[in-house]
Amino acid sequence: MNSAVLLRSQIESRIPSAFAVYRRPQHKFIPTGISQIDDLGGIPLGALTEICGSQLASSGKTSLFISLLAQAATEREMFCALVDASDAFDPTSAEAAGVALSRLLWVRCGKTRQKLPPLEQAFKVADILVQSGGFGLIAVDLGGIPERVVRKVPLASWFRFSRVVEKQPTALVFIGQQPHATSCAGLVLNLKNRPGIWPGNLLTNLCVEAEVVRALDRKPAGSVRPVFSLKSQWA
Amino acid sequence: MFACLTTPDFPVQAALCSEPEHRRELLKQSPVVVVDGPASLLRVVAANQKARRAGIAIGMTKLQPESFGVVVIRKRSAQYEDAAQTALLDCARSFSPRVESTAPGTVTFDLQGTEKLFGPARHAAQKIALCAREFGFDANIAVAANPGTALHAARGFQGITVIPAGEEAARLASLPVDVLVPSPEILDILESWGIRTFGALAALPPISLSERLGQDGLQLQRLAIGKIERTLVPVEPSDDFTESFEFEDPVETLESLTFILNRLLGQVCMRLASRSLATNELRLKLELEARQVKTGAEKEIYERIWKLPLPIADAKVLFRLACLDLNSSSFAAPVKRLMVEAVPAKPRSAQGGLFAPVSPEAEQLEITLARIRSVVGSADEVGVACVGSPEVLDSHRPDSFMLKSFSTKPAKPVTRAIPASVFVLRLFRPALVTSVEVSNGKPRSVLLGRRLLLVLAASGPWCGSGQWWNASSAWAREEWDVALKTPEGTGFYRVFLDRLRKQWFVEGMFD
Repeated sequence: MNSAVLLRSQIESRIPSAFAVYRRPQHKFIPTGISQIDDLGGIPLGALTEICGSQLASSGKTSLFISLLAQAATEREMFCALVDASDAFDPTSAEAAGVALSRLLWVRCGKTRQKLPPLEQAFKVADILVQSGGFGLIAVDLGGIPERVVRKVPLASWFRFSRVVEKQPTALVFIGQQPHATSCAGLVLNLKNRPGIWPGNLLTNLCVEAEVVRALDRKPAGSVRPVFSLKSQWA
Repeated sequence: MFACLTTPDFPVQAALCSEPEHRRELLKQSPVVVVDGPASLLRVVAANQKARRAGIAIGMTKLQPESFGVVVIRKRSAQYEDAAQTALLDCARSFSPRVESTAPGTVTFDLQGTEKLFGPARHAAQKIALCAREFGFDANIAVAANPGTALHAARGFQGITVIPAGEEAARLASLPVDVLVPSPEILDILESWGIRTFGALAALPPISLSERLGQDGLQLQRLAIGKIERTLVPVEPSDDFTESFEFEDPVETLESLTFILNRLLGQVCMRLASRSLATNELRLKLELEARQVKTGAEKEIYERIWKLPLPIADAKVLFRLACLDLNSSSFAAPVKRLMVEAVPAKPRSAQGGLFAPVSPEAEQLEITLARIRSVVGSADEVGVACVGSPEVLDSHRPDSFMLKSFSTKPAKPVTRAIPASVFVLRLFRPALVTSVEVSNGKPRSVLLGRRLLLVLAASGPWCGSGQWWNASSAWAREEWDVALKTPEGTGFYRVFLDRLRKQWFVEGMFD
């Protein structure tokens, strides 16, 4: 027996987990209610998900999130939290989309004269919520925050979020313009609309193309580009 | 069986009850006196055993004990004594529902039928002593067959005394007659006869005693024998769970304030727990030093009320809630008095469901919400809360909502089916002021930020109005859903013309 093996066996006898390989837990998923996305698995619990889309053009990122919220809060009766960095959430639309608003905790950032800017408020609140536990879905909407500001969030913050949420049955979803969490994210969806869809005199359809930028359980990630159509409430 | 709980030197113990626990234990080892009277002529009204051994007597002026050296002097406070008496009653109520407030510092209660709960009389007495200790009192406990005997035994003997039925006269015989608290005239007469103990009084012939002292004398003799029966007069339990503390010197630091707050909350929760209650509303009142308040606009009293969604009796949770609020508050002057009041409520009885969805822990949730409020604030400029559960108001006015307190109580199940894949509006709050170029009655271009964007398609106008009877809240608008050509693709927006202000706004984007 060489010295390395001997040393290893001695350490393992004292600290059995010293050389154990860390295995990520198997993820469970929440369906989004959009079959094309659900075919890919849905939104993973115990992982960080980024839903990205343009700030100027309609990308369907908010609609996808609201659909997810309806599935989590109404269908699965989970308690959900929305940290709204730019106060863009529309309760009327959400209720029409079937969200059980009584199970939603809505935190509106940047509405009072607090010392912290909205982005920092949102991250602090998300941290408090993730640490407190008990929420099935925690969403942080950074869609209205300028991209140059979000880019300054250190990678350590994303890493901490991903490690904390990993041990909880919680889906942590960030909604923004661009993905920032890099390898800390379990799923990154980039959405954009397909131009030229305006049949008749009413706005009734929004055709969205989703690109799976990153997925833990699907490789290569970019190989799938589901396309789905969103209808208006009056259609 | 009746138990009597009495606290020797009650004014001293009541004064020390307001001290923090470790300090109270230290003070009990020192001579302590309580003074009362006009400020110019304060006199000693109570002293503990250490002080009496040091030579301090009741009636001395304040200057006299001061000359003894290390003597702790406290001013008598009726408020502290009331609070201490209430605490004693609460302590007794954790053993019996029939509790009599016999005298200041003395409570008598009925232990009949509690043997199965608290065991034999001696065990019950030990538990009572332990409970009184938790409330901060050094008490004498006596258990006897009638309230009078229990009272005299508690007053006369230190520690725990249990007098079995039939042995009253023999056990009380050694007590001095002044324990009976006779009138000064009778006490003088008994003294002149050489009658100094219960035993000596009991041995006197009743007829001769009646001829010389009348019915009062006979009554005293019966009490000394321990054979007198009387009915207990129970007091109604008070729902006032208030604790207060007045600082000798007004405090400016949060540490000093929270230190006392923690203790007061502990006392309130202990009293609630002794009555098997919890609280769903906590009130905190801080009286500020009035002389240092500079402007008339500042209040001299800071008051805060927490309405809790579920009854809580955990002092730690309440303390953290209060601390989070105090941390984010600033006061115009030092705090001179602190008062905590808990509104009693029945404790929550909830059974966890094996298949119930995961939810935040109810007690922990309140702290989480308070922490979030300390980050984002409580309400915006309009007065709408920043943290809570949204509720759409029954109004045609767009963006009408309110935020109600978020709770994990089981909500009514939503019976309506979830519509499949609908797109929603992402709002700009407040709506962005813009200018719209209109051609042939339809928007042609919209100014978004600094960009003039071409309208590819428009749907509208959708007109709406309301509150026309009220000039201040009237609204009238003309909505358009427009497709704008942006550098990043097509954006579907909702713009509207405020017909009262003649101004265009961008309400939101369909996203």
